[in-house]
Amino acid sequence: MEIREDLGPVRRRAVALLAIVFLLLGALHLRLVQLQIFEGAHWRRMAENNRLRRIPLASVRGRIYDRRGNVLADNHPTWNLLLFPDEAARLDETILFIASLGVADAAALHERVAARGVDRLAPLVVAEDLDWSHVTRVRAHQSDHPELSVVAGFRRHYPFGPATAHAVGHLRLVSEGELRAAPGLDPTARVGATGIEALADTFLTGHAGERWVVVSAVGRQLGVVRESPAAAGRDLSVTLDARLQRIAADALGERAGAVAAIDPDTGAVRVLYSAPSFDPELFSGPLSPEDWDRIASDPRHPLQDRCLQGTYPPGSTIKPFLALAGLTEDAVTPDWTVYCSGSVVLHGHPFRCWRRGGHGTTDLEHSLEASCDVYYYQLGQRLGIDRMARWLGLFGFGRTTGIGLPSEAAGLIGTPEWSRRVRGTPWYPGEAVSVSIGQGPVQATAIQLARAYAALANGGRLVTPHVIVGDGGTQPFDLDLDPGHLARINRGLEKVVHGEHGTARSLAALPVAGKTGTAQVARLVEGVDSDELAPHLQHHAWFVGWAPLDHPRLVVALVVEHGGGGGSIAAPSAAVLFSAALDHGADPTAPPPAGE
Amino acid sequence: MENRIDAWLILAVISIVGASLVTQHAVAEVVGVRLLARQLIWAGAGLASILVLSRLRLDLYARFAPALYVLGLITLVAVLFFGDVRSGTRGWFAIGPLTLQPSEFARVTTMVMVAAWLGRRSGSRLSFKGTAIVTALVGTAVGLVALEPDLGVALTYLPVLVAALWLGGLPRWAWLLAVVVALVIAGVSWHTVLKPFQKERVLTVLDPERDPFGAGYQVRQSKIAVGSGGLVGEGMGQGSQSLLRYLPAQHTDFAFAVWAEATGFLGATLLLLAYALLLFRIGLTAAVAENRHGLALSILVGAWLAFQVVVNLGMVLGLLPTTGITLPLFSYGGSSLLSTCAALGVVQSVWRHRLVNQ
Repeated sequence: MEIREDLGPVRRRAVALLAIVFLLLGALHLRLVQLQIFEGAHWRRMAENNRLRRIPLASVRGRIYDRRGNVLADNHPTWNLLLFPDEAARLDETILFIASLGVADAAALHERVAARGVDRLAPLVVAEDLDWSHVTRVRAHQSDHPELSVVAGFRRHYPFGPATAHAVGHLRLVSEGELRAAPGLDPTARVGATGIEALADTFLTGHAGERWVVVSAVGRQLGVVRESPAAAGRDLSVTLDARLQRIAADALGERAGAVAAIDPDTGAVRVLYSAPSFDPELFSGPLSPEDWDRIASDPRHPLQDRCLQGTYPPGSTIKPFLALAGLTEDAVTPDWTVYCSGSVVLHGHPFRCWRRGGHGTTDLEHSLEASCDVYYYQLGQRLGIDRMARWLGLFGFGRTTGIGLPSEAAGLIGTPEWSRRVRGTPWYPGEAVSVSIGQGPVQATAIQLARAYAALANGGRLVTPHVIVGDGGTQPFDLDLDPGHLARINRGLEKVVHGEHGTARSLAALPVAGKTGTAQVARLVEGVDSDELAPHLQHHAWFVGWAPLDHPRLVVALVVEHGGGGGSIAAPSAAVLFSAALDHGADPTAPPPAGE
Repeated sequence: MENRIDAWLILAVISIVGASLVTQHAVAEVVGVRLLARQLIWAGAGLASILVLSRLRLDLYARFAPALYVLGLITLVAVLFFGDVRSGTRGWFAIGPLTLQPSEFARVTTMVMVAAWLGRRSGSRLSFKGTAIVTALVGTAVGLVALEPDLGVALTYLPVLVAALWLGGLPRWAWLLAVVVALVIAGVSWHTVLKPFQKERVLTVLDPERDPFGAGYQVRQSKIAVGSGGLVGEGMGQGSQSLLRYLPAQHTDFAFAVWAEATGFLGATLLLLAYALLLFRIGLTAAVAENRHGLALSILVGAWLAFQVVVNLGMVLGLLPTTGITLPLFSYGGSSLLSTCAALGVVQSVWRHRLVNQ
């Protein structure tokens, strides 16, 4: 049997350890006596005075500048009213007090308090954009309602208002889905909804911060526990020209329509104006139901961006591209002529020229100058619908331009295949006749036409329109056009303005080339004059052109909905824009003279 | 001959774990996660592990100590490569819905190894070589944990080393030397290693009001919670400190403060008594152990538990700096609960076999 080892010294050490442990436990218990028995009242008072608040720190959204440094979107400081519901002694009274200020509805406030999540220390933003009178009333009652706090915030401001509403865009509240995806987000935060505000939202948005503070029982801030500062968003330069935006707005006036203007060399967008417009600042703060109803039920749809989403039959503005197609495909020659008697019978139906009396013998340049329909009926027959569609597609019709702004429409090029697949009805040969003058199943947006004309003005390169400075990274696509052919087309477009028979001679004082277009909304019944049509059946009026002639720097596409004739209605409006642009000398896009 | 399990120790464990579950339930909504069900499962597994491990004969722990120790080291190495990262520490294995923290379990295997080594040697004083071996056994594991890096858990290995050297018996000059070295290290690290926020935590203990909303915030809130509990407490789920989330880390580091606010001086005293009972029964086990091995095992486990209890409560009561050391059996955490129970199971093996291991 093993001899028992002598555990004596080891045991003594163990007992010593145990004694130390029990001494320490005894000390801890004495501390409990001190904190809970002797100092209990003191700490309980501290607990009552101990209010921790999470204050959201708003981040400033980046400003948007136009190419000349005008501010298109800015931030105005405002006062917001915060409620810390957990601190309210009698929440009902607090809510009634807020309601008595007239800044929020009591029933809605009760719902919001009940619906808030576990994040209890965060306040509810019960009112935004307070008047000074509200602020003083809250401050006067601060000691009765320490759970209320007035804090500084920001409200988005658009100095050019309706003139840039669609292009710059407006804001909206974050959606519930976005809040679920990012729980740290403030439920009253606003994000870009449309236009550049939406396109560059992540660039413009900073990130909100928060500050944890301890406040006294009467709401006085005692100290900051921790703070993560808000980071401001970055400022953005865009290619738009606010002055031209405003002139475009004046040029369209009360009429519905769109103006798109781009630099033909780079695709930089100078003007995107859609009429009727609206006040984008309605969306910067809480949107009242009345305001929303008024704007949403307006039969003229002011929220629609007609530059990018309005698709119209391009009418005669499509002719230069079909002429170019005819020349390149050897369907016609520059000297090929058509005799226009005012109408022609094709596929068993008569097709009329817009000019009842006809244009007589018409060659290529004259067909553009006087916009002879019969010439293009015949040219279209020689090309056939598939070749017409291919050439229109080459110039960017029927697909979005890639401008990057939200909700751009693709427009339409009707073909037999499209008819079968999408429309589900047979293709009639007569439809191809309509397409050859930009009617029937062919639709385009103003920005598409501006882009297509830019390719004529810049020697045959299809640019990608863009609104953000430095975003012109997409290389222009060289269409590989014959310079001789292009020169003939452009001479025809010059004659539209400067020729004896031109349809836009009202612009003759300006170094402009371009094309008018009058797009039928309803087919004219025999014997009815277009002037006698009801307003909503009136033609859409187009003018698309560029200036100056020697080195085009600005392409403008302008459409007036139900405006009537392109030459009589659209061209004079475009003239206002061109002359304003040309005010700066030969280069319409040169920097403004000092003092502007 | 085999004795029954120590009912007093089981009573202490069940009391502490029961109080913990009540507290976890009360703060579940504030913390925002329902942890109670998971902690219940861990508690069940913990009690089962006490029963199972107490049945194994003590000499088995001696025989398999090296294998267990190496296994522990392997998991510590593996977690450095394959572990999940949580707040900067690579220290967890995710197995389905469960996460295991190897550093908690390796502490148990390290204690088993050190106790086995101490049990085999005789003599009243550790030799220089013996000191080196004990230090290397603990130091290797600590080093691996520090690599994760999880300095909080690494710190909890320290009492194992100190208790082992104390039991083994160091000459006085060695203790003096150790104290001097520790002071030098503390002094040097104060100026080099410690980050400003860590220094603030230490200074806050000396002067609680120096920065009541910064470094002192947590401790101040903890003291307010404990103190406003008063004699009988505000009732479970009633305390404004806990309910309004002024108190940080309610379910882990500062769980005791929630308990103390809710149940007052009476409840806090009862909980403290439960820990005292637990440590006393472990001490008693050491006292009745008939050999060096059993005694060492009990003392190592007891020293480690006492360290965590004292350091955590010291922090909650504002006497020691904030370190992130949890309260054993009480703070939320499955690995910590299970590994603590496993260690207690080993101690129970000493208790049950105290008459047959001679």
